Amino acid sequence: MKMKKIFAVLLSAFLMFTSEARADIDASKAEQFIKNVTQEGIEELINSDVSEAEKKARFTKLFNSDLDLDFIGKFVLGRYWRTATPKQRDEFIDVYRKLNIQTWSERFNEFKGKHFEFLGTEKANSKANDQVYVNTQVPMQEGAPASVKWRVKDTNGKLQIVDIIIENVSLAITAQKEYTSYIQKSPNGIDGLIKDLKAKLK
Amino acid sequence: MNKFIKMFCLLGVLGISAPALAAEEDEGALESYNRAMFTFNSVADYYVIKPVAKGYRAVTTEFIRERVHDFFENLKEPASMINHSLQGNFSDSGNSLGRFAINSTLGLLGTFDVASGWGLTKNKTGFDKTMASWCVPDGPFIMLPFLGPSTPRATVGWAADTASDPLYWAKYYTHFGQDWERYTFYYGLTALGFVSLREENIELLDNLTANSVDPYATIKAAYIQNRLKLNACADPNADEQANSYDFDFDEDFDE
Repeated sequence: MKMKKIFAVLLSAFLMFTSEARADIDASKAEQFIKNVTQEGIEELINSDVSEAEKKARFTKLFNSDLDLDFIGKFVLGRYWRTATPKQRDEFIDVYRKLNIQTWSERFNEFKGKHFEFLGTEKANSKANDQVYVNTQVPMQEGAPASVKWRVKDTNGKLQIVDIIIENVSLAITAQKEYTSYIQKSPNGIDGLIKDLKAKLK
Repeated sequence: MNKFIKMFCLLGVLGISAPALAAEEDEGALESYNRAMFTFNSVADYYVIKPVAKGYRAVTTEFIRERVHDFFENLKEPASMINHSLQGNFSDSGNSLGRFAINSTLGLLGTFDVASGWGLTKNKTGFDKTMASWCVPDGPFIMLPFLGPSTPRATVGWAADTASDPLYWAKYYTHFGQDWERYTFYYGLTALGFVSLREENIELLDNLTANSVDPYATIKAAYIQNRLKLNACADPNADEQANSYDFDFDEDFDE
């Protein structure tokens, strides 16, 4: 009887431990994930000799699978997400996704011929402990290396990027400031924003 | 020296009047001025500065542009040397001095950065960073004519660094030609430095204006976040704070 009790206590302790461990994001896995993204996705893709169209297609695929743009889109709309209709939300996320692919397929060319160095991980504030920063730097031709921090989120075992912070400038915060400032000034609110964002697509 | 005294007086005034340490996000009444100045700068850039920068790119090779870039970068070494000292980093100060001495001579007036090859790598700093290390408040975000995004502290830092630039003094202490010829020469050089800087940022700014619905808000947000790096003195966790935004909104937002 006693043995059974001890066993039960041990088992429940074990279960508690493992279930808690499962909720926390695994920092080393997150780092490995970013290593894959930067090596296969960015360094190899930018430096390869494939056509621009092929590059764009591969970049789009990478962006869609490795960035949680539903999550980021929600954040960048800020308090306006709450008042947006489901249709507005869908339309916004869709155009935001396309615009990001357009912006970053151009911007990542800045990393041509460069490589990422990994500097370990750092805890990111999140209630569920499901997010972590992966710290990297990119040596530049002159001066100090550029710092690039990746915020990685674990959604039911799937790792995705939720923010990229280059030289202390967060992609998500900057976009949120841009869009909330726009909506505040626009007489057409979110619909005006969606319309203007669509006009930015090439 | 008079100019320095004025600058420090200005600094004192700014220090007292600026209520927060980091550049403030809420501009209030300043915003309409800043946006008007941003529009002014954008128009000046569109019609004059960017075309000149593109013209400069068209008539020069990358090799020439790199020499021009290195020349102007070398002129900033004295400012780095002085400010590393003011920040108490004497070995960095010596590094800047060594770079300036080597590059100004063997590097043919700074047009070649030979010192980097000898292990003296570039490590720029300026009076703005010195003031940040002294806990001088940054003040509000301001848009300056032609110079773009800034804060009162950044502006004072820029002015002090300009006064540490050998070109600034060369106007008064070199003697060739007529006064006007000398002035035209030095102001021409200063303008070239400006054009060179603009040329280096053509793609970045094009990308920004092409993909942003409110470029002013985007530039301001990026500038303020980037500056938080400098305010380490104000708060040892400033760097972390800059990115400690709350991402846990699922429950609140999906209701």
